[in-house]
Amino acid sequence: MMTMLGGEPFLLVSKQEQQNYPLYIRSVPSDSELKFHYTVHTSLDVVEEKVSAVGKVIVDQRELYLGLLYPTEDYKVYGYVTNSKVKFVIVVDSSNTSLRDNEIRSMFRKLHNSFTDVMCNPFYNPGDPIQSKVFDSMVSSMMVQTC
Amino acid sequence: MAQCVQSVQEFIQDSFVPMVAVLCSEDADRVTRKNNLNFSELLRPFCRLTSEGHLRDPSNQIQVVKNLKICVSNIVTEPPQQVVTRRLLSEVVSASQPAESSVANVITAGDYDLNISATTPWFETYRETFLQSMPASDHEFLNHCLACMLVATSHENAPVEQFQKLSQEQHRIQHGSECTYPKWFIPNTLKYYVLLHDMGEGEEQRAESIYEDMKQRYGTQGCYLLKINSRTSVQSSNEQIPDPWSQYLHKSNFQNQEMYDENDATNYTLSSVLSLIDAPCKTCNDHPLRLDQTSAHMDGIDALRAPVSDGKKVPSASSTHGACLTLNDHDRIRQFIQEFTFRGLLPHIEKNIRQLNDQVLVISDSYRLLFPKNPWYPPEAPELQIRKMADLCFLVQHYDLAYSCYHTAKKDFLNDQAMLYAAGALEMAAVSAFLQPGAPRPYPAHYMDTAIQTYRDVCKNMVLAERCALLSAEILKSQAKYSEAATLLIKMTSEDSDLRSALLLEQAAHCFINTRSPMVRKFAFHMILAGHRFSKAGQKRHALRCYCQAMQVYRGKGWSLAEDHINFIIGRQSFTLRQPENAVSAFRHILLNDSKQAASQQGAFLREYLYVYKNVSQASAEASLPQLPLPCIQSSATRVFFGHDRRLAEGEKQAASHVSLDQEYDRELSQQWRELEEQVVAIVNRGVLPVTFQPTQYCLNSQTDNMRFPLAVVEEPIIVEVVFRNPLKVSLVLTDLSLLWKFALKEFTLPHGSEASEIDLITTEVISEFCMNPEETKVARLKLLPHQTGELHIRGVVYNLGAAPSPGDDGTKVEGIVFSDGMFVRGRQDLEIQGPRLNSTKEEKTSVRHGPDRRLDPIITPPMPLLEVMNQEKQILTVTNSTAC
Repeated sequence: MMTMLGGEPFLLVSKQEQQNYPLYIRSVPSDSELKFHYTVHTSLDVVEEKVSAVGKVIVDQRELYLGLLYPTEDYKVYGYVTNSKVKFVIVVDSSNTSLRDNEIRSMFRKLHNSFTDVMCNPFYNPGDPIQSKVFDSMVSSMMVQTC
Repeated sequence: MAQCVQSVQEFIQDSFVPMVAVLCSEDADRVTRKNNLNFSELLRPFCRLTSEGHLRDPSNQIQVVKNLKICVSNIVTEPPQQVVTRRLLSEVVSASQPAESSVANVITAGDYDLNISATTPWFETYRETFLQSMPASDHEFLNHCLACMLVATSHENAPVEQFQKLSQEQHRIQHGSECTYPKWFIPNTLKYYVLLHDMGEGEEQRAESIYEDMKQRYGTQGCYLLKINSRTSVQSSNEQIPDPWSQYLHKSNFQNQEMYDENDATNYTLSSVLSLIDAPCKTCNDHPLRLDQTSAHMDGIDALRAPVSDGKKVPSASSTHGACLTLNDHDRIRQFIQEFTFRGLLPHIEKNIRQLNDQVLVISDSYRLLFPKNPWYPPEAPELQIRKMADLCFLVQHYDLAYSCYHTAKKDFLNDQAMLYAAGALEMAAVSAFLQPGAPRPYPAHYMDTAIQTYRDVCKNMVLAERCALLSAEILKSQAKYSEAATLLIKMTSEDSDLRSALLLEQAAHCFINTRSPMVRKFAFHMILAGHRFSKAGQKRHALRCYCQAMQVYRGKGWSLAEDHINFIIGRQSFTLRQPENAVSAFRHILLNDSKQAASQQGAFLREYLYVYKNVSQASAEASLPQLPLPCIQSSATRVFFGHDRRLAEGEKQAASHVSLDQEYDRELSQQWRELEEQVVAIVNRGVLPVTFQPTQYCLNSQTDNMRFPLAVVEEPIIVEVVFRNPLKVSLVLTDLSLLWKFALKEFTLPHGSEASEIDLITTEVISEFCMNPEETKVARLKLLPHQTGELHIRGVVYNLGAAPSPGDDGTKVEGIVFSDGMFVRGRQDLEIQGPRLNSTKEEKTSVRHGPDRRLDPIITPPMPLLEVMNQEKQILTVTNSTAC
């Protein structure tokens, strides 16, 4: 069972400076990490597609959870975008049936809360890779739970 | 998909063209061979008709045929072998590389600016070759031979009998039991009698009279007199004639030859290819009429074979196509093709469409009830007649009628559960629906999907599935349905062919970048997949190109694992393609970046880097040592110490000095010493400090004032302390570590004419081994001893970089490259120290400027008296060591 997380900052000040670099990535087991990096990176295209589609249809939709981005042969990829356009991606094993939409949704919510805490840290420089023990332990506990 | 040269309509039209077989007499072959061509090759450049043709469909409407192309080929009695086809395909792809000067278009997507070549000529060549080398199948007639040209010359003893022999031969091939190939469209194939007349040989009168006789016998529309070889060899030297054959016959094999030595995986020898091609020839050598076995279906191989089989004539062979032909002859051939098509072929097709139409109408439903559920059909089965009619209509561009026939045929085949036949009808129904003028119905993409699925899963015929996918993808592209096209292409990738998968993945990647909102990351990912398949297929250049294109997306975005992986592959591919400079820079990138790789991975990277580097440095001249990326030097922390480095406490003695390399810099202490020195100087100069006074500094570091050139004394050592940091998780070993310097002599010190060797100038101390543990920061003290006065500039350090043997994996073997533990490379790193930021004037405060740092540029002065003071148990002991002048 794998969980992986890729965040992306979106500078509210200037939309042109949007960047897509990872804030935090974590995966278990770590031996096939490269594959997950590729998967998460590619999924960002789908996230962007979904975000732009949402913007067109219903303007004031407050739903941050994007649902299943796409299923690959072995994994399911879920996405979530915060209001400041930071993207969360979770990759889980397809064979794991205990994780349904609701569980994934609550995982994202937990992540988001934790991420907000990180952002509240005055010493955290927005855009830097996240190095926070609290965040780490939260992610680990979540990953253990779902294993 | 990338842009193509052809429009989609042209592409589809050219994929399905009427096939015409050729049967030559020996003499006819001899005549055309004068031009280094066989008969079908001779005609090939003229096979596209420039004028419109007309025929009447069964309802007597005039159908206009535009831009028709016919395919003339020699009879081959063996179906093309898969192995040969595969090699041919791999060859044409590797021969087609992007031109250096090709214009790449820049696509801006979000914050990505990507340089991507808009066209992919290798894919188009592949597709063309693939479609041409399709074996004929029983369930469709499109590439079955419609007509046969029988060729004899006017010089033969009895041309008429020769024609009869040829005709019998054709009949034997088509109806005899021993030959199942090639396949023929209709039982009574159109025979077209061509009398070849060599203008240089026989008399025209005789030819004309034979032709008259032929007209009597075969009718004016069934025969033709073709006069060629008008040019005598005398004229040839002073006349420039365009060579229309070159682009058809050997567009590939020149680049090929160059590539053979570079490209290992495709480096099978020509002879092995040829032996495969020649195999069928040998079996038929006893044939009464010499047939050219190879050329019909494999134009490319034909071309490949021609120059080689001529043995030593290789260079000349390429330039002498059509040597005996004048422009007039070209026109005659063009005229002949036109005559053949409009007077012979099209009426023949028209007649057959009518006949088939009558038959099809006669077939009643009762027949269908009588013979249901028949998955394989005899050739005369009514269902096949409908298909045949549809194919004929399709070939003459009557897409309306073709569509309705295909549609009917499809229903019949589906009723009978004849899946292969049904898939074929579905495929062509979809294509004709697309090509219908005015587009009365939308393109039925689901027909294609069903056809592909049937071909692949039910019939297990990947070749047909691939053709279907190529057609469908091209059509979807033309309708800007890029994501559908991408899905289709990706579905077609499979384990059985790396080359196909690579090409299709690349096209899929191009689809993603062409969608309305470009999907850059998907593009990059599929490019990587394509690159991987290319490298598995042995197409190293294409692989490298794919990875480089993908790199543009990943570079500098923080996806370090992916970036390292791509860099590693680029490095390796560049190395095997003998582009070591690119390889080195790619590997360097992996090591320089703050790598997050595991220690074992880093070790592998390092060893591979060293291996590549070693090869590069061997190739390049010794004079310029390469810059090494490892370990990192913290140049601003460099300290320079002048004079003998004494321990502060040496036994009972204690040096009366505040400076030592083992000591941290203490600002207050040095300020005290400075004041002390000033007082001494002031007393000596009767209370006034001279203007030129500068305090003595023995040890220079980042906190001292390094604006002036320091002074060093001849025959006294200069010690430079360099701080190295090993960023990797593996140990490094530096050997033969020493300083690099440049020395400018003071002119008067050296007698004129005598050259000083380096040893005479300065003695450089060498540290023989310097080990660094993983992620360690360590200092090295390097000593210089100047023997002459002058200006010294310390430039950097020079050393051998090697990986420490790790206990687990001695002599690791990574894909054929063996790394021994003794692997090291010699290289240098420059010491460049940025001076302090200037902050005194307004200008300096408002801008960022740095002052000079002269730590490493001492001036060597003549010997001076040296005063050393040692304290010994509170007594003062003075040692004066004067190396006096």
